[in-house]
Amino acid sequence: MLRRSLQAVRRVVSDVWDDITSSVDSSLLGAARFLGLLYGPIDRSLPIDEALRKSLRYRLAPHVGWRHAMGGITYLLFIVLVVTGVMLAVFYRPSVEEAYPSIQHIVSVRPFGWLIRDVHHWAANLIVIALLAHMARVFFEAAYKPPRETNWMVGLLLLAVVLAFGSTGYLLPWDQWSYWTVTEVLNAMAHVPLIGRGLADRIMGDVIPSGATLSRFFALHVIVLPWIAFALLGYHFTLVRRRGIAPPMETDGEKPRGRPGGLSRPEDLEREGTPFFPNHLLRSFSVALVTLAVTLSLALLYPRVFSAPANPYAVPPELVSTWVPVDVSLALIRLAGPWGLILFTLLGVSLLIVPMVDRGSERRLWRRPAVAALGLTFFIGYVVLFAVGRIMGSVPPSSDLRQPGVEAPFEPARPTAPLPETGLTPPAPEPGTEPGGAR
Amino acid sequence: MSSAALRVFVFAAAFAAAAAAPSAAQSSQDAVAEDSTYGCIICHADKRRAFQQGVHAERGITCDRCHGGDPSQVEVASAHRGRFIGAPNKVQTLSLCASCHSDPDQMRQFGLAADQLAEFRTSRHGQLLIQEGDLDAPTCTDCHDAHLIRPSTDARSNTYPTHIPETCGKCHEDPAMMGKYGLPANELDRYRTGAHGVAVLERRNFAAPTCIGCHGSHAALPPGVLEVTDVCGRCHQLLARAFASGPHGQAPSDRLRGCLGCHSNHGTERVAEDRIADLCASCHGAESGMVSLGREIQDQVRRSEEDLALASEAIAEMAEEGYPVEDERFRYVAAYTAYQQLAQVQHSLKLEQLEELTRQVRSNAGVIRATAEARAEQRWEHKLLLIPVWFLTLSGLAFAWFKLRDLGR
Repeated sequence: MLRRSLQAVRRVVSDVWDDITSSVDSSLLGAARFLGLLYGPIDRSLPIDEALRKSLRYRLAPHVGWRHAMGGITYLLFIVLVVTGVMLAVFYRPSVEEAYPSIQHIVSVRPFGWLIRDVHHWAANLIVIALLAHMARVFFEAAYKPPRETNWMVGLLLLAVVLAFGSTGYLLPWDQWSYWTVTEVLNAMAHVPLIGRGLADRIMGDVIPSGATLSRFFALHVIVLPWIAFALLGYHFTLVRRRGIAPPMETDGEKPRGRPGGLSRPEDLEREGTPFFPNHLLRSFSVALVTLAVTLSLALLYPRVFSAPANPYAVPPELVSTWVPVDVSLALIRLAGPWGLILFTLLGVSLLIVPMVDRGSERRLWRRPAVAALGLTFFIGYVVLFAVGRIMGSVPPSSDLRQPGVEAPFEPARPTAPLPETGLTPPAPEPGTEPGGAR
Repeated sequence: MSSAALRVFVFAAAFAAAAAAPSAAQSSQDAVAEDSTYGCIICHADKRRAFQQGVHAERGITCDRCHGGDPSQVEVASAHRGRFIGAPNKVQTLSLCASCHSDPDQMRQFGLAADQLAEFRTSRHGQLLIQEGDLDAPTCTDCHDAHLIRPSTDARSNTYPTHIPETCGKCHEDPAMMGKYGLPANELDRYRTGAHGVAVLERRNFAAPTCIGCHGSHAALPPGVLEVTDVCGRCHQLLARAFASGPHGQAPSDRLRGCLGCHSNHGTERVAEDRIADLCASCHGAESGMVSLGREIQDQVRRSEEDLALASEAIAEMAEEGYPVEDERFRYVAAYTAYQQLAQVQHSLKLEQLEELTRQVRSNAGVIRATAEARAEQRWEHKLLLIPVWFLTLSGLAFAWFKLRDLGR
């Protein structure tokens, strides 16, 4: 009886599965591939299950190793941020009155709200580190050279998107640290000649960071930037497959301008290497496990401390940074003034033109000294500035914050005599003349 | 000179006069009575300057109202004629000011009292000046100035709260003059560093008294020994009531100096919490049972202070961890209110009331700390999640490693 009913269930399930596999077009796998979940090529002439199996049999180039994992870690952290971010958005309220209490509610009342918030916080920090490590790997292996220069630029845009994500998200807790740090950075931005002040005011939507700023930062953080990020990410992944992963440093075989196109894509070639399934997937699985465990551990051990609710009328005695780029920005503003931040940003932007300038086939670092110097300045500078920011720990807000009346309040000195009168002392008589007046 | 040239010359002269006119108008603007028909100011220009900034000039009062004479004359002899007074002496000044200021009908419109002279007669200053003819004693103009008289609401006035100490200090900080009357000349220094002086001069808290708050202004007298508690009690009402209900307040002896027994008069020292028992011992003797009562009070106050400090630390800790602390802040305010009442109740020396307040502080602070401890325990339990996280992670890694090793074979 039992066996018979089990068989019936199994038959129904397999019928349903047959219907699905025969009705769903294998192009659906393209969506998974666009999202970076599937690496191999997809044979759209096959039914979906066979296309999947064929795609999983794809072999990666044998030189793909652990150091190529940083990009994947970045993407995993991005997914973690999306998931925890959606959960936080359910209870977060983007208004001046409710932002701070709603986060208190998330942390203290919602089950595991504290964990979700701290994971979001730590993933935002780790994604910057992973992204920069990924970038450094690509840069120093000269993997940005043709035919992969577009992807380098897309990657830099993704860095900008991640920084924009963090900058807009940084204000959302609406506590003293976030409020005054945003004030400080916008103030530095206002020092850019010609466009700076207008840009800063446009971003703020007010003369100081206020409810208007909070609303637009929230809209950017949860609506605008995710769309841009997904579009850029999909294109990034697609280009990785179309142009292939850069060959090992030792080989000089790749023609710098040889741009494979049309039907002969590197991903379509049958070749030797590690099978995607299960070998590569198992390695990815290990990396993902470690990434998640590290993120969770940091979130459990070092929760993000709350500062007092934001108060535009009181400058806090210190600003404590809770995000890696903020450490870097505050260190730059402290050490070199607003221009430090502006120039370092320009240095980062100048990385965009690196693949246009450096197009030769030479990949060794010491054979391309100008580009190497640029990259070393950026990456080592970032690490050093982060360390400086950490060592400084908390920093007092700078004195030229833009609000009127935030200087130290005027303390009247204890009066020793009534205020001086004008015109009470008669003018000194001219020498040699008789003093006039009362006789 | 031809008529055309003359016409041009006249025209140019008129133009120059028109150009010069604004500056002339400006200079005459600040001299309200500067016209050739008002004679006093021709010679007494310095007096006019001071007088015009005062309140009397605003009311259209002119020199001759006080000094007599004939302002329509421009010659010295003819101007100083008639009902001429000139510079009045100190006693004349009193009656001169009183001729208006003691008239309720005239003073009513300005909301001023008309009893200043009556009050002044009762004051030590008035007694010295009127009865004993002591010309070192002040008259109206010594405090209010003769010509530059401003209302006491004007921040530049000699009688504005922050300026009163200097106004009194003109004489009372002069050791030579005070020596004549056997008075100390350092009382103002003690006032300035005392609680009242700091409140008025540094914090601009005009609810705190200046000299006149306790001594009176026109009726300036030092309060008598038996009056001190009432004088202080005008502001410190609850303290005075508690003091009056306690053994010190009900003691019939006039050897007790009221509030001044523990706090001084001008220095208004606050008694430090750890000095209460010593203070008791200074009168009762170190062996007295009263010292142990003092020590008991001292301990209660200090324990409440510690409770409050711990509670505020607990609140800060909870706020840092993101817990809403509104309830705890309410509790803290309740505890703090009880703590503030301790200051009042200890003046009655009633230990049972003191204990009740200490209990309120302790119970409220205790609830706050218990909440904080429960939160801290919760947070510690959160960290236990590390165990399953790393167990699962390491299991997964082991699985992947074994599987990869098998595949490598």
